[in-house]
Amino acid sequence: MFTANAHTPAKTTSPSAVTPFYGYAAISFLVAGILLFIYSSSFNGHYFHPKILAITHIMALGWGVMIILGASHQLIPVLIESSLFSVPLARLSLFLAGTGIPLLAYGFFIFSMGWEAQWGGILINSAIIAYLVNLVLSMRKSQSNNIHAIFVLTAAFWLLLTTLIGLALVYNFSYSFLSRDSLHYLPLHANIGIAGWFLLLVVGVATRLIPMFLISKYQRPRLLWSIYLLINAGMAGFVLNFLYLRQSGLYFLPAVMIGLSLILVGYYCYQCYRMRLRKKVDEQIKISLLAVAMMILPVILLIIIIGAMQLSGINNKLALLYGFVIFFGWLTAIILGMTFKTLPFIIWNKMHHSFAANEKTPSPKDLFSARIFTAMGIAYLPGFVLFCAGIALANTALLRSGSAFILLTAILYNWNVMKLIRYKSKKP
Amino acid sequence: MNIITNDTVQCEKAMAALREVIDPEIGLNVVDLGLIYQLDFDEPNNNIYASMTLTTQFCPMGASIVDGVKQALNTAFPDSEAIVSLTFDPPWRPQRISEQGQKFLNQ
Repeated sequence: MFTANAHTPAKTTSPSAVTPFYGYAAISFLVAGILLFIYSSSFNGHYFHPKILAITHIMALGWGVMIILGASHQLIPVLIESSLFSVPLARLSLFLAGTGIPLLAYGFFIFSMGWEAQWGGILINSAIIAYLVNLVLSMRKSQSNNIHAIFVLTAAFWLLLTTLIGLALVYNFSYSFLSRDSLHYLPLHANIGIAGWFLLLVVGVATRLIPMFLISKYQRPRLLWSIYLLINAGMAGFVLNFLYLRQSGLYFLPAVMIGLSLILVGYYCYQCYRMRLRKKVDEQIKISLLAVAMMILPVILLIIIIGAMQLSGINNKLALLYGFVIFFGWLTAIILGMTFKTLPFIIWNKMHHSFAANEKTPSPKDLFSARIFTAMGIAYLPGFVLFCAGIALANTALLRSGSAFILLTAILYNWNVMKLIRYKSKKP
Repeated sequence: MNIITNDTVQCEKAMAALREVIDPEIGLNVVDLGLIYQLDFDEPNNNIYASMTLTTQFCPMGASIVDGVKQALNTAFPDSEAIVSLTFDPPWRPQRISEQGQKFLNQ
């Protein structure tokens, strides 16, 4: 018994392949918060505005993608039950994306699709290819390809497609090689990124982590497969209609499929919550569960947008609201919660591993300030609601006050993330 | 939470020591969490064999928890050497959590 089935504990990914991504994402959120505060009145105008494009890309790439890349380098071993293929490749992704994102954002900010945006796009695409190679080679080593890993892998392919389309749109500004202008293809680029990458990945990871943290007995891989198929079929239908069929009424179909998948995700998370052994749910998981509930908001907005399109074309306010709800709502809420369920463990492992787990060792949740975390949650909710109201009512005062709360959220988030990254252990 | 052992008296002492080893995420000790499968005491050779599991095979805290178990046994039995092996056959199930553990989680 002691030798036949003996295992060694999993080698965790080196923190150097993970924590810099968290630091980068935190600073990106702060930069986006500052820009949102300064240029909040831009949200009274058209969504295709240089400052809005810059903020959106900082949020989508610097905040969303970077934190997901970093976290997934740590989570891949948990998901696929194997170690990460290459730490240097992970560092290469960080370097390439970390250089490319500010270049691209600056290109949007000054609305010049010249060398800054072009090189930014090339570097970002190279980073995603490096990430994808690392992911595929890690999975090839693994003997356990579970549904969660399939979600992550498929999401990464959608991400590459998103960034490749993005790069094509940047070049299309200068060389006009596509049949229509870049603005026409924006919904394709945005929705593939939102549903194909973010949604698929968040669902894949959340359905693994939420039951794990709640110690839930609920397991239903077939339900997860149904969700996976609904999202991917919905996305494939959307791409097909956008490129070939071009029937605006047909957009309801993918929207309904994605909406249905979200209802199933909500049901899955609710069942995990109901069948949990751990009755006390901490604040981080509460925010993450709130984010799961918030997933339905963009779908409702999308269905309204498609309905409005039948009558009077794309409604600008609804399109702005849709983007804001996704990047500053759902995605931000899940990151705010999950950061403090993942980063403290990474730091704890680095600092306290040699002392081993005992009652004298501080627990991971002791490594950041719970009070700052609560204050961050309190600042975030009014910020989100006020800014949404500001967009809907085209009210600059509401936009400004909402963005002030979001900036405060970003400052408090950075405070805790930097406290974690700079944490030095005291020998017990 | 059934622990197989060849010495119930020594096992009680070992379990008391192992209750000091905490899963950092859950805050519950490894005994009540049901991570310990077997404790065998080889007195002639002064060895203690512990077989244990983790809640998931790639638990990021795994190495630390295993080290904690080894240290706790070596401290409780200073004349013996603890040899800890990790197994996932059978895999851990929430049903392995003891009554005290469930009370703790219900708090």
